[in-house]
Amino acid sequence: MSSNPSSSSSRPAPPVVIPGSGNNIIMSPLQRGNPVLECIRNVGKEYGDIVADYQVGRTTGVLFLSLKYHRLHPEYIHTRIEKLGHHYTLRILLILSDISEHKDPIRELTKVCLTNNITVIVAFSFEEAGHYLTIFKQFEYKPPNMIKERVDKDYSSMLRTSLTSISKVNKTDVETLRNSFGSIANIAKAQPEQLANLPGFGQVKVKNIKNAFEKPLRNHATNTLALMASSQSQSGNQPQAEPSETHEKPPRDPSPVWDIELDL
Amino acid sequence: MSTLLPFHTSILNEIYDPDTSDLLVLARGLGLRRILCTLLKIYDSPHNLVLLVNATQEEETEIGEELGIMGCRKPGLRVVGYETGTSRDRQDLYKGGGLIAVTLRILVVDLLQNTIPVEKITGILVMHAERVSPLHLVSFITRLYREKNSKGFLKAFTDQPEHITSGLSPLKNIMKELQLRRVWIYPRFHQEVKDTLERKRADVVELAQNLTDNMNDIHGAIVQCMTITLAELRRSKVELDLESLNLPAAYFSSFDHIVRKQLDPIWHKVGPSTKALVRDLGVLRRLVSYLLVYDPLQFHSFCQVLVEAATSNTAESGAGSGKSQWMLTDAANIVFQAAKRRCFVDVPPQERSNEVEVIDLDDDDEGWDVVYELEGRSSEARSSSNKGKAKANGKRPGWLPNDIHPVLEELPKWSLLSEILEEIEGEILQMERTVSSRPVEEPPGTNITLVMCSSTATCSLLNDFLASRDDKRPKGEWGRRMMLKKLRSWLWWEKRRKMMKEAIQNSGSSGRKDGSSDLQETMWRGESSTDRGEDGLSEAMKKKDRERAAQKASRRRVRGGAPTNGARGTTASRDTPAPGLEQDLGQITPDDFINLNNEELLALNDEDLELNLVTDMSTMEFATEFDAHYGLLTPAETVIVRAYSDDTDDRMLDEIKPRFIVMTEPCMEFVRRVEVYKCSNPGLPVRVYHMVYANSCEEHKYLAGIRREKDSFERLIKERGSMLLPILEDPRQAESDAIIKTISSRIAGGRRELNVAPSQVIVDMREFRSTLPSLLHASHLLVIPATLTVGDYILTPEICVERKSLSDLVSSFSSGRLYTQCELMSVHYKTPVLLIEFDEDKAFSFEIISDLKSYAKTTNRYPPKKKTTGNPAEHNYTSPTIQSKIALLTLSFPRLRIIWSSSPYATTDIFNDLKKDRAEPDPVKAVATGAEEDPEAGAGVNAAAEELLRSFPGITAKNVKHVMSKIENVRELCEMDLVGVQGILGIEPGKTCYDFLHKGERGFRP
Repeated sequence: MSSNPSSSSSRPAPPVVIPGSGNNIIMSPLQRGNPVLECIRNVGKEYGDIVADYQVGRTTGVLFLSLKYHRLHPEYIHTRIEKLGHHYTLRILLILSDISEHKDPIRELTKVCLTNNITVIVAFSFEEAGHYLTIFKQFEYKPPNMIKERVDKDYSSMLRTSLTSISKVNKTDVETLRNSFGSIANIAKAQPEQLANLPGFGQVKVKNIKNAFEKPLRNHATNTLALMASSQSQSGNQPQAEPSETHEKPPRDPSPVWDIELDL
Repeated sequence: MSTLLPFHTSILNEIYDPDTSDLLVLARGLGLRRILCTLLKIYDSPHNLVLLVNATQEEETEIGEELGIMGCRKPGLRVVGYETGTSRDRQDLYKGGGLIAVTLRILVVDLLQNTIPVEKITGILVMHAERVSPLHLVSFITRLYREKNSKGFLKAFTDQPEHITSGLSPLKNIMKELQLRRVWIYPRFHQEVKDTLERKRADVVELAQNLTDNMNDIHGAIVQCMTITLAELRRSKVELDLESLNLPAAYFSSFDHIVRKQLDPIWHKVGPSTKALVRDLGVLRRLVSYLLVYDPLQFHSFCQVLVEAATSNTAESGAGSGKSQWMLTDAANIVFQAAKRRCFVDVPPQERSNEVEVIDLDDDDEGWDVVYELEGRSSEARSSSNKGKAKANGKRPGWLPNDIHPVLEELPKWSLLSEILEEIEGEILQMERTVSSRPVEEPPGTNITLVMCSSTATCSLLNDFLASRDDKRPKGEWGRRMMLKKLRSWLWWEKRRKMMKEAIQNSGSSGRKDGSSDLQETMWRGESSTDRGEDGLSEAMKKKDRERAAQKASRRRVRGGAPTNGARGTTASRDTPAPGLEQDLGQITPDDFINLNNEELLALNDEDLELNLVTDMSTMEFATEFDAHYGLLTPAETVIVRAYSDDTDDRMLDEIKPRFIVMTEPCMEFVRRVEVYKCSNPGLPVRVYHMVYANSCEEHKYLAGIRREKDSFERLIKERGSMLLPILEDPRQAESDAIIKTISSRIAGGRRELNVAPSQVIVDMREFRSTLPSLLHASHLLVIPATLTVGDYILTPEICVERKSLSDLVSSFSSGRLYTQCELMSVHYKTPVLLIEFDEDKAFSFEIISDLKSYAKTTNRYPPKKKTTGNPAEHNYTSPTIQSKIALLTLSFPRLRIIWSSSPYATTDIFNDLKKDRAEPDPVKAVATGAEEDPEAGAGVNAAAEELLRSFPGITAKNVKHVMSKIENVRELCEMDLVGVQGILGIEPGKTCYDFLHKGERGFRP
């Protein structure tokens, strides 16, 4: 789990005593009777004496909190967090959001957890909570390939991802574009009129496509560093370019002198 | 600029006063732009700083031009967009005063950074006021503006009363957000408007055209599909407001919006089938409108693409995404069949053997053809040269495959249009005669005929039609020439596509890994596959080659056109090809015969067709060529075809000053524009031909549109009558509260000291598209805009937040972007935070995603088997849930915190909470973080282009910045050669990227 070297250095976590084998979720006896237990499937379960509610990995401890319970006993979770101390590298508070006024308790819990280095996970049903616990155990040693940037995909799906990244372009349009232009390079070169003539292409879509391909990647309209530099050196009052000159439409070149004699 | 009408003047009199702030709601088409421009001209002065916001880019340029025409030139309206200068340039621009149009996001940033002297702003003009909502950037701007400037005016304009519908009192909401107290409503039925416009009326000829039988069938069937879909939708969800779910409402695009709005809070409970129904309605709506404007071929190919997309979807994503139910109905079958029937019919083999019969159907003058047919195809040239005119068109062209018989039905409006044009010509002649015979002064206006249609595509279609009109043929076939041309190019594309697909299938069966791409390339290069090495060729490929050889040998014959499936044997022997080839020919199954034809067609038409296509497509080229080859036409002969646009049409009418206007499609706004045009040009005779398909959705839509506008105006007027105007809250009122907030409690001993710096949040420039910055500001946080490389929001020197809305979350998980972002955040900040933000009116639940992506509930799905080892990586997950991805993310980044927020409002509270008692972030440091290798750190980026660039293979999150500094725009990358791309990306990724960009081109070899 230390794909990130600095993660463990922040806090020298004392090794946790691990009762039992490594393949089971270890549950605190306090959790007996919790409906979540029913929903933990495909992994072994055993009770053990641990500070967290569930120990789903060597270094992963989970506290479980139902908001309904929290509303009745707001102090409970604080004592649990206190007891948790500095155990575990990944500390999770699994919140079951089972009340409709979830906004305030979640906000408050988020703050508490941030100060105590606990990650909040919100589940919206017992099923989902069980699913989380299962997954944490199952993925204990799983490499993060599933969520990393992938490169090897087939052409058509890559094409689809590319073109649909432009807003308003849908899968049908990708087919149309591919059929009529062939390659991305050709689409990039296409005239707006050509695009507008394709079935299903309105002006907005054409504009979006053209913007994505032809607008400069960088703009300096919102350059922050320059501004900060300028605001600092504002008192310096350097000579600056003529105001507004660049923004006017340049005046039309004077027409060449029309020699009527020559015309004859 | 033409004169202002009396009602324009009275509106202006009411709103011009720079001391008042107003909202003007005007009916569309009554000349909002005219009022706006006059207003801008009044305010134009270097001592004033007047901002125009919330206009689209086109509107900005148009308004600028119009002001130029009105004599407001130096400097006129200046536009500030993303491409204009640095913030310092803008600062100077603002200081110079005058009229300036600013993009919303830039203005927000400028207001926050104090680039713009807020106190000096004379006023702001807001376009499209109907879009303003509490979360809109305009509301943010208004707040920022009113904080420091209470003297300046703010005038808002809208001509879309239909869109003012949000909430219980929509008008009041808008006025509250814009902090306005006065509203003016001018519908078309306003007495003053009525008096002005109905004094002089244009001469209107209403023409109701009937649909053809096929179109009627399709139309009926689509409407039936819509009804079915609507009924289905009603059945599936009880919570929907059934009243609004009627057919006329479904004709408008706002319908989707209404349905979505009703469904959003329960969207996660809505099954995929219901979602599909909502989506289908949109598709059907488009289909029915395309039916009336697209030519049959285009309509047919659109149908094909629909079917194709539907079938490929189901193949990929399983049963999940919800099949379109209407596609399975009989009615849909009618649609697709009739769509095809309008283009061509398949000729059964027996008939095909008898070419004469085909001709019989095809042409009235068949006698000659029979003769030529008997002589063989060589006569084709002769026939066309001999009989030149109508005859040649009736002749079955050689490129036409034998298995189809072209029907090429035309839209009835086309012939109607050309009849009208003839009539107009007559009228013009007559008028000229009277003018010349009698000493009457010629009335003002020109004889240019203006034809209006709904879109630029229709526009070029009508242009094509009129240009290639062939009135020797019977009515209804005048556009035959154009249609044949279109059919030809369609066939060409069609075959090419079919071949591509087939090639992919072939390669699939042959088991070659990269076969599909190779083969595809082969296809693009036509029949040149023989030059490829034989080594890797599979059995299927060999067979294809043989076919090609056979086809090459029989080319002439095929061009001759006569052979059919049945007669092939005989023709082949007649031409006596090489014996081996004949054998091959014998092996070819009837299915393959189509390929044969395809190849033929391809080989024949490759070059000239592509040329055709290019000229077909670009009207621009047509125009330039036109100028080169022909002189100026007299106005009487000129027909201008234009698409309806916005208020620009007013100017166009004014410039062209047509006497004859043909509206090929009904358009309420344009009718009003013509009324205004007529009234502002007294003495100008105007005749309008108004075409409508009788009993079609077009008619319904037009009438429903009028009704809708009237209703919404009535609603607004009613609301204005009973409105309780909000007393604007003093922005300074909350200040005392803010001071207490900044007292630091970290100082020991309970000393009370004031923190000098106000609480601040650094926000990434790109985040200004979302609503959160506005709300953060509203909650008295100081929002500092910056271009950040790492994170979206920096709350404290240690806390860095990456915001993801739900859909973002899904997509950035699957693209792997989130992982990279978390990686970066973890490196640079002590507490990286992922903010998962749910939408306010949507449900606060994850199931949204799980069925958005059509995952079955994984929890119930696993077989109850014991996990054997500690190797869960081998566990077979077909579609991992979003939950498992989140779990994996937390496992990978144990320091990553997650904030779950049910709405942007909740996020604001959480942020405020987190910032309490913590140090303030440093903007300069935040910008520099993670941007060490980027020479242009802090510069703005074109988000859409970056997104596109990132999606190319070979470009990763790590090198994207580098690439962006090397190239100007994406197109540049597309036009580079292999070496150039490799120079930027490196050898291997460069090649991947180059291949991806150019795959599918002719002559391209991977």
